[in-house]
Amino acid sequence: MVIFLAKRFAFMLLTMLAVSILVFLLLEVNGESVAVKVLGPYSSDEQRRLWLEDNGYFEPAYVRYFTWLGSMLAGDFGESIRFRVPVAEVLWPRLLNTAILGGMVFLIMVPLSLTLGVLAGMREGSALDRTITVGAVITTSIPEFASSVLLGFIFVFWLGALPGTSGMTEGFDLSQMVLPVMVLVLYGFGYITRMMRASMAEVMQSAYIRTANLKGLPYRRVILKHALRNALIAPFTVIILQINWLLSGVIVVEFFFAYNGFGRLLLEASLNQDIYLIQACAMVAVFVAVGTQTIADIGYTYLNPRIRFT
Amino acid sequence: MSFKDLGKVHVIIPKLVRDLESGKMGRRDFLRTSTLLGLSATAAYGVVAKVTGEDLMPRAEAQEPTRGGVLRVSMNVKEITDPAIYDWSEKGNVARHIVESLTQVGTDNITRPFLAESWQASDDLKSWTFNLRQDVKWSNGDDFIADDVIFNFERWLDPNVGSSNYGRFALLRGPNDGDAIIENAVVKVDDHTVQFNLREPMLALPESMGDYPALITHRRFVEEGGNLVENPVGTGPFKLERFGVGQEALFSRREDPYWGGEVYLDGIHYIDHGDDPGAWLAALASGQVDVLYRLFVEQVPAVQNMPNLVLLETPTAQTGVARMKVTEPPFDNPLVRQAVQKCIDHDGVLELAYQNAGVAAEDHHVAPVHPEYAELPKQQQDYDAARELLAEAGYPDGIEITIDCVAQPPWEPNTCQVLAEMMRPAGINLSVNIMPGGTYWDRWTTAPFGFTSWTHRPLGVQVLNLAYRTGVPWNESSYSNAEFDALLDQASGIYDVDARREVVKQLQEILQGDAVIIQPFWRSEFTAMQPNVRGFALHPANEVHINQTWLDIS
Repeated sequence: MVIFLAKRFAFMLLTMLAVSILVFLLLEVNGESVAVKVLGPYSSDEQRRLWLEDNGYFEPAYVRYFTWLGSMLAGDFGESIRFRVPVAEVLWPRLLNTAILGGMVFLIMVPLSLTLGVLAGMREGSALDRTITVGAVITTSIPEFASSVLLGFIFVFWLGALPGTSGMTEGFDLSQMVLPVMVLVLYGFGYITRMMRASMAEVMQSAYIRTANLKGLPYRRVILKHALRNALIAPFTVIILQINWLLSGVIVVEFFFAYNGFGRLLLEASLNQDIYLIQACAMVAVFVAVGTQTIADIGYTYLNPRIRFT
Repeated sequence: MSFKDLGKVHVIIPKLVRDLESGKMGRRDFLRTSTLLGLSATAAYGVVAKVTGEDLMPRAEAQEPTRGGVLRVSMNVKEITDPAIYDWSEKGNVARHIVESLTQVGTDNITRPFLAESWQASDDLKSWTFNLRQDVKWSNGDDFIADDVIFNFERWLDPNVGSSNYGRFALLRGPNDGDAIIENAVVKVDDHTVQFNLREPMLALPESMGDYPALITHRRFVEEGGNLVENPVGTGPFKLERFGVGQEALFSRREDPYWGGEVYLDGIHYIDHGDDPGAWLAALASGQVDVLYRLFVEQVPAVQNMPNLVLLETPTAQTGVARMKVTEPPFDNPLVRQAVQKCIDHDGVLELAYQNAGVAAEDHHVAPVHPEYAELPKQQQDYDAARELLAEAGYPDGIEITIDCVAQPPWEPNTCQVLAEMMRPAGINLSVNIMPGGTYWDRWTTAPFGFTSWTHRPLGVQVLNLAYRTGVPWNESSYSNAEFDALLDQASGIYDVDARREVVKQLQEILQGDAVIIQPFWRSEFTAMQPNVRGFALHPANEVHINQTWLDIS
């Protein structure tokens, strides 16, 4: 078990290291353009040269890389060009906001989709199954940018029931969470539901369920006690990987509802070529991606005793 | 009409009044020119009322204004560290509640005294004396004095600061790019009087002082850190409470009395809803904000369908120009530029790209709303001529060119697409390179071919000075024409609108003939607000003036 965990973590670190080299190379290799970004288009060549020298741009690339990596690890991401404050000052609050949004989406989406998936998978081909399946396919087929417009039109412009943007400028307001959460849940729940349904349907076909049914166990008990645990294995991975999707999937929703989260930050950083902020965002995104992958692997192994810790 | 009751006035004023009386000059031109020459707006309006019998004063509000409430405005909140280098009116709008300008261009496009209570120009318009208000105090307790004004002008005219005021007040510095301020250009007469000595006559000095990058900071601004957010010392009626780029700017009214009289609002809250126009409108429709900074023309029908919102519209000298860099191939060849110009049907672009909400332009950047505008013969779309010009320029088989253009607002890329379609029949293959704002505005002065939006300026000569004079920072086309510069100097010093028009007409012809820009149209601006907002009008240059705005809470 310990060896397995160590291996997973070593692999995780290696991936992040590789990505960090890529991020560094892609964004920092051209020092001149960084200087223009920081000092502005009217800066003189002399000012730019001085800035590059001060910031060690004339050192060999590997020295710069390790200096950069060192300060990244110490939590010093540099100063944002657009916001004119240290990157960490904007990054962490925005990440927290996205975590709140993502957390609420999960709280609603996971129980909802698991329940619907079990209901559909219990009796494959039943009317209930077909209704849920068709519904899930439809909502998953509507991308966030379309459902944002549609739901915004219905609830903001037509019914006037919900606030149009979710900037939270007057403090946290639950009503401002409704539309972004609704859009993300609508898009995301179908996938998990269908995974759960397929997994459940497969388990329901297996011999031990048939045996349990034949020996006269109550149906409810068969489902909850015997079928569910085994059926959860495949959807578990999908659910964990949804964290990854959320981190990028929120960009559209955060932009549309003016929610001050990580996705909008990443978008604005890219649009404004805020180099240090992009680097920090990229590393955070990679960390979340690799981290969730590792958790999914470990959890999967734990849930499925057929996989040995080797 | 007697001039005694007007006090000491500029020698030209009596002639202006005679012109007004004889109908030679319109009332708006009279108001604009006479206020520029130091007549107070009240007096100027009074003259108009007397002469024409019309009451041009803004109609008094039927209701007594009520105090209180925070006005919420949806607008991008950008960094506002140093007013001298502002390049967006949004920055000026936020900062204007803290630091103020010597003059103010009102929503009616008339310039009024502000921190300067009056001014007199010498008869040759080369020497201007500005009298500062004596009752203005900085928020740190200091008196507002001439040293503050001098500090700012010296800073703006330092070529190393990179201020757009370097071009705006070019006549206070040497004629070449990089020249420093002329000795004795800005002289302190006493604590509340400043004299400006220009090397050429300049009519639009008070106008230029009302432009958004000409906000006056405290005389120790640089000494005390040079950061308006960390050290928001100002003369304005509000103090900065919270500020976050990309998020919000919250102001509350200062406790001490404001020099400009009563201010009704308790505060102002700018909220950044990002770059999605849908989000702005959604915020307004659901009552999260009271006013939008702007409304894109594409959204006007949506607001018209919402009877609970108020739509505001104003005709402006705002425009977009597809400018060709005359130093970069293939645009260094005037024949190529003229060929491009020959392909354009200006009325057609206005209709296709801006829903006809404006007037067609004529590639010389002087608008019909400018007093000195001269009508030129209408340009005609002529593909045969375009093809001939191209062949003569050495491109008989057509040419491939690219225009850089910003993604938002949508009318800009839309206009470029229409231009591309119009050029195609002549064999000019224009590809439109649409890029995000941050990227575009970093290279707007360097791209070989770029589409740039230009804001409203009250006089035609102002924008010509900013954008087409040799070597000024905003000369994005790198246009350099000694004859043009000389005529521009001349026009900038002519007070008489008719006489100025004669010179401006030549400037228009030169610029149009050299085909430096394709300027399809002048556009109207729009915004929308809640019905309980009072005393707010849409400014033609998108400035937010809210010192007289109040919220009807009843």
